[in-house]
Amino acid sequence: MDSSEIRTKLLSLLASVAPDIEPDRVDPGRNLRDQFDFDSMDALHFATAVSETFGIAIAETDYSQLASLTAAEQFVQAQLAAKPETPPRTVSPSE
Amino acid sequence: MRSEFRLPSLGADMERARLTQWLKQPGEQIRPGEPLATVETTKGLIDIESYDDGRLVEHLVQPGTEIPVGAALAIIETEGVSRAPPTPTPSAPRPRSPQPVGAAVESPMTAPSSAPAAPPVAAQAPAGISPAARRRARELGIALEDLATAAAGGVVHIKDVEKQAAKTPAVPTDAQAVMRASIGAAMARAKREIPHYYLGHSLDFGPARAWLTQYNAPLPVKDRLIEAVLVTKAVALAAARIEGFNGYFRGGRFVPSATVHVGAAIAVRGGGLVAPALLDADQKDLATLMRDFSALVTRVRAGHLRSGEFTAATITVTSLGGDGIDVLYPIINPPQVAIVGAGAIRDQAWVQNGQIIVRPILVLTLAADHRVTDGRVGSRFLRTIADLLAHPQSL
Repeated sequence: MDSSEIRTKLLSLLASVAPDIEPDRVDPGRNLRDQFDFDSMDALHFATAVSETFGIAIAETDYSQLASLTAAEQFVQAQLAAKPETPPRTVSPSE
Repeated sequence: MRSEFRLPSLGADMERARLTQWLKQPGEQIRPGEPLATVETTKGLIDIESYDDGRLVEHLVQPGTEIPVGAALAIIETEGVSRAPPTPTPSAPRPRSPQPVGAAVESPMTAPSSAPAAPPVAAQAPAGISPAARRRARELGIALEDLATAAAGGVVHIKDVEKQAAKTPAVPTDAQAVMRASIGAAMARAKREIPHYYLGHSLDFGPARAWLTQYNAPLPVKDRLIEAVLVTKAVALAAARIEGFNGYFRGGRFVPSATVHVGAAIAVRGGGLVAPALLDADQKDLATLMRDFSALVTRVRAGHLRSGEFTAATITVTSLGGDGIDVLYPIINPPQVAIVGAGAIRDQAWVQNGQIIVRPILVLTLAADHRVTDGRVGSRFLRTIADLLAHPQSL
């Protein structure tokens, strides 16, 4: 999966956990908390969606790796590269 | 018996709402707690629930119509006596009281039956509209009905709203200003009427955090708990144990509630906040409470709450921890009598057994109503919360 695919997926996940933001207005480098007032529940919802969609384990201590869109993209890429044998699950975030 | 189904007040600030959609049609059976209609308010979309068992006879108002609080929306045929009490008390066994929390209007049920509903508007709102687009439409003063054609029958997105705005220059109605004014009205009433007293207590959140880390470690992300859930549960248990903090001040006296419904203050993106209730928070295990909390935040984000959630809270918890603030001094949401504030959990120097150690410290604050309790019992209440958090397995 290339980085633009990952970014597109991440944007759709953001839109699903925070339908009150517009995905095309996300500033990729900016902290989601500062940008959209993400609280701990929003962060958890996003982490859940990322974990289930890409089939990667996310430890509690790794939540900070999802602080911005760019950071999340890099994190997902690194996790997928480290675990090439794990195929991404096609799971909807609502599952 | 026939009765009128009226638009309840969903907060001190709410004067009117716009009927968006009927969820029940004439002839359909209805049960208590079932949503009958969706209305749009300054707080987003809210499903208005029934308090009766029976059958919907007739719609009195069509979708698209603006209606004042207390106006009759429909005629309902109830079996036997109507279950909607004119002035329900919070200690009534029904978990969802139709009485407004934080309402300046004393009772929506006593609104004059002659309250005229605006004439029905024939235009139809579009089938679907994203919350962001809905907010933008409100900002730009675009009527939702005008968007139906813009979206060509599909879901309306923000770009459709802006396209429509370019075509039809409208007078902007500032949604932010409306919400700010409504919060102002409720808080001004609280400051005017409630003699607040404030207490603060620092506690070592270490045991709770260690327990949480262990609990969460083997779980997939979706089943993990967050710190706010532990605090909410501790407040709920303390509210059930120590009298004087859970209930309403109404008619010149404190009416304790037999059930504990904790209002969770949730910030609305772009400004403002809502405090819908986590029902029976003292009775639920942490996993269940977490699921309820998670669903509540999802509904706030989607701009789609239920009326019962707005009217049920018997005490409120508010947190600014995510913003890195150590201490907050909250204002009580009338007619409630207490609110607990939680600041950021931050590593600090802490003295234990004569040693200075670094611990994660949480400062809890209590704002309570002096007409009901004094600082002494307030201290006991805060210390009970702290004790519960010190023994997280007891939550």
